[in-house]
Amino acid sequence: MRATLECYSTNATVAKIRAMHGRMFTADNYRELMTKKSVPECAEYLSRTERYRSAFKDTDPNTIHRGYLEELLNKANFDDYIRVCEFQGLDSIPYYRFLISRREIQCILLMINNINSELENSYLNSLPGYMIRRSKVKLLELSRAETFDELVKILKGTPYYKPLSKIKADPDGKVDYTACELALRKDDFEKLIKYAEDVFIGSEERELKEIIYYEIDSTNIINAYRMKKYFGYSAEKIKNSIINISGRPKGRIQKYYELDTPEQMLDWIENSKFGKCDRDTDVIETRIMQARYRWLSHVLAGTTSAPVALYAFVRLCYIEEKNLVHIIEAIRYGADTSVLEKDMLIF
Amino acid sequence: MAIEKMSLVSITGDMEELDDALQKCCDSGFFHIEPAFSGGEGRGHLLNEKNEYEAILKRLSQFVTYVGLTPVETDHSSLSAKSPDELSAMCDELENELAALKDKKQEDDQRISELSAAQIQIEHLKGMNSDFQQLFSCKYVSVRIGRLPIDNYSKLEYYNENFFFVPFETSENFCWEMYFCPESEKELIDDLFRSMYFERIMLPRYVSGNADEALARINDELKELKASSAETDKKISDFRNSREKELQVLFSKVRFLSDSFELRRNVGAINGRIGNRAFMIKGFIPKKREDKFSELFKQLETTTVTYMPADADASCTPPTMLKNNFLTRPFTMMVEMYGLPEYDGINPTAFVALTYTLLFGIMFGDLGQGLVLFLGSILLNKKLGAKAAGMVRRVGLSSMVFGTLYGSFFGYEELLDPVFENLGIDFLPLKVFRQTNFILITAVGIGIALIVISMLLNIYAGFKKKDYEKAIFGCNGICGLIFYSSVIVGVVGSIMFDMKIMSTPFVICLIVIPLICIFCRVPFAAAVKYKKLQLSEDGEKMTIGNFIVENFFEMFEFVLSYVSNTMSFLRVGGFVLSHAGMMLVVMTLMDGASAVAQPIVLVIGNLFVMAMEGMIVAIQIIRLEFYEMFSRFYDGGGKPFEPISLKFSAQVEQ
Repeated sequence: MRATLECYSTNATVAKIRAMHGRMFTADNYRELMTKKSVPECAEYLSRTERYRSAFKDTDPNTIHRGYLEELLNKANFDDYIRVCEFQGLDSIPYYRFLISRREIQCILLMINNINSELENSYLNSLPGYMIRRSKVKLLELSRAETFDELVKILKGTPYYKPLSKIKADPDGKVDYTACELALRKDDFEKLIKYAEDVFIGSEERELKEIIYYEIDSTNIINAYRMKKYFGYSAEKIKNSIINISGRPKGRIQKYYELDTPEQMLDWIENSKFGKCDRDTDVIETRIMQARYRWLSHVLAGTTSAPVALYAFVRLCYIEEKNLVHIIEAIRYGADTSVLEKDMLIF
Repeated sequence: MAIEKMSLVSITGDMEELDDALQKCCDSGFFHIEPAFSGGEGRGHLLNEKNEYEAILKRLSQFVTYVGLTPVETDHSSLSAKSPDELSAMCDELENELAALKDKKQEDDQRISELSAAQIQIEHLKGMNSDFQQLFSCKYVSVRIGRLPIDNYSKLEYYNENFFFVPFETSENFCWEMYFCPESEKELIDDLFRSMYFERIMLPRYVSGNADEALARINDELKELKASSAETDKKISDFRNSREKELQVLFSKVRFLSDSFELRRNVGAINGRIGNRAFMIKGFIPKKREDKFSELFKQLETTTVTYMPADADASCTPPTMLKNNFLTRPFTMMVEMYGLPEYDGINPTAFVALTYTLLFGIMFGDLGQGLVLFLGSILLNKKLGAKAAGMVRRVGLSSMVFGTLYGSFFGYEELLDPVFENLGIDFLPLKVFRQTNFILITAVGIGIALIVISMLLNIYAGFKKKDYEKAIFGCNGICGLIFYSSVIVGVVGSIMFDMKIMSTPFVICLIVIPLICIFCRVPFAAAVKYKKLQLSEDGEKMTIGNFIVENFFEMFEFVLSYVSNTMSFLRVGGFVLSHAGMMLVVMTLMDGASAVAQPIVLVIGNLFVMAMEGMIVAIQIIRLEFYEMFSRFYDGGGKPFEPISLKFSAQVEQ
């Protein structure tokens, strides 16, 4: 496999990703969007931009539902990812399925939530339609499951069976959602790192692992802060509730989990690479996403490796999507522009 | 080679005369306005009145656009109305006259738009044969028609709810369908479909029958409405034709008043001597036009015009107006392209005109092709514009002169030989391929001469501005000139004429000392100007180490630029050869062609060489002018002289 990949130049893919990155929203675009007064105006604006023109084809801005608008943004990013993977036939390499795996995990978690909440149809209603034909998991079949055990049974033969089968359901068929999420995400990251080690070599492997670890760490930092601030978790409990990748050397970040107060955690973040941003904000998500966006843009500008560029690009798109959804929601509920600007993930 | 001398003008008078004063300034055609006050001055303030004509102009513009009229400048002296109220009332009158027609048109268009939208929706339901009225009037069953994102279509069969659906048509992204559900459960089912982003189509009440019948009915109605709309259009058009003159006069008047009002933005408001409100206009005019300008204001009772030297007011920089004669005027476009000289700078147009014409002739020398350029520029004078055509005319003539010296006529290199033989001139014509060295050496010689002239111009400009670093110690100042000339004389004398010039005193006095002066130009210039030694220009602290390192690299760059700029002129000789080479190719192709094709090859070949090489030569000379010459003596930071005027424009920003 290595030999094949070595011969297989993916420079064109990197160039394509950079070109797509160039079409992403800038601060001016966000500012222009923020001047809109209603969801139809937002939809109309988005449908005129080069970035989302094709995604909004055939839609009527005047009648579009806000939820559908958000799903279209999500789908546009997913379609971009698929387009990049298919460009040089990279979709045949398991590593490149990483976004599909992530979306599949989201769908499974939706179903677990559906079982726990006993809300009929909530899974089907929220299931992103575009995933149905892309996924190897029978996503529609999952809706037939009434208990967690039934769900696991349907998932047999998929990569998600193993991590979920270790979790025991309650007698009433419900299950610990957080444990499931942790198990699925941990398994997903571990597989991704294994692919990075097995398939790629040298600086490519190093860069790839660095970007994946960065994502794990920044996600853990946000979760640990929330656990401390809102639930008062102890250091031990936090360590057991975050994504711990086996075999990874323990770094400076371990000290963060042991801090006593949320304020100390905020101080730590502000002085670390995970919280380095231009804006002075106490909202931890905004700070970390800002820093992540900057770091990922930097990685994308410098790398010559297709898997690294794709990973960075996908994560940048995710942040952009979050930002757009944030603006659209704020416009929908008539929030003040200054408040909106303050909470923007990137600006 | 001069810059027009300017006078700073201050016009003051009672506010009542402001419009007339501004009008006079526009009429003069040579008044460059400046803001009467810059920030911080306490004598008065800039007028900041709201332009009430602007709103009227916008209304009028919308009106004329609506009736399909293109505004053209029309004499409006016959229209006495002047105040915003009067003009606004005239607009009201016009709008009222058209109001009924406008409403009718709007109504028809809206109905057409609604019906067209319904038509599109019903097109997607073509497979449905039931009567819409009957379907919607069901008592126990609710029916919904609309479109569902195609991605969600496969979800439908997984819902265990009480509904069924009938798809009609699918596109890339949507599926048009109809769903039925019990009346009692319609809210639940509607919610469910809404969660899948089902977009319901609300059919108008008038839609009845099945899809085909409904479509036919809509088409009939659309036809009627379109006919009615066309009739309204005709009536609007009749209105426009009957009132065209009135509309044009009104538009021109409002445009003029609005534009005049805009000029007030630079006017200052001050208190007059008797406590009345007075205005102040500040600007520049050419000094020689002072009398003519004063003459214009004689009729105004309270307005006075005062002249001051151009540099009297430190808050405004005098604009630059180049003074050129008939021969050099077209080349101002080259100077403007680089940037106008400062008011107290030098006008390089004549230098550009001379060098550009000379270099073009040398590089593109052909009697026939030069003649085509000359005649072409006369024929295409209007299309090219007076300046560009003038330039082409001059370079065409130059090309003809040098073409004669080369003995080249449309690529025929021997055609002029008998002429020179009969005249007894044996050193002409120059045979390009036999005298390659002469051509290349001459090209470098021309380059050296032009660089030396550029340095002399720089020295002149430096002394004019009392900038001693630039004039004496700079790399293009006296020291640079001595160094450059000495090296050239030394090298040329030693290599070409075998003269032993490079003696120790020669090297020390004419090469080393000037180099040291250039190296220490900042402290030396400071010593001359401020009578004290300082290492940096702005007096900031600089260590000797920093000074040496910085100046070492700058010196390196200077010396390198002397060499590279001189060698750059080799391209002049290179193009002489390439032009002759390209024409040789055309001639060879022509020789190989049949007798019928020969004239065609000759014409196409000449046209090709003229277009391609003419373009390249023009660009290369611009490069030589800007990089090799202008960079040595010219800054180009001047402000253009822009007389105020009221130019009619049909465009109005909405």
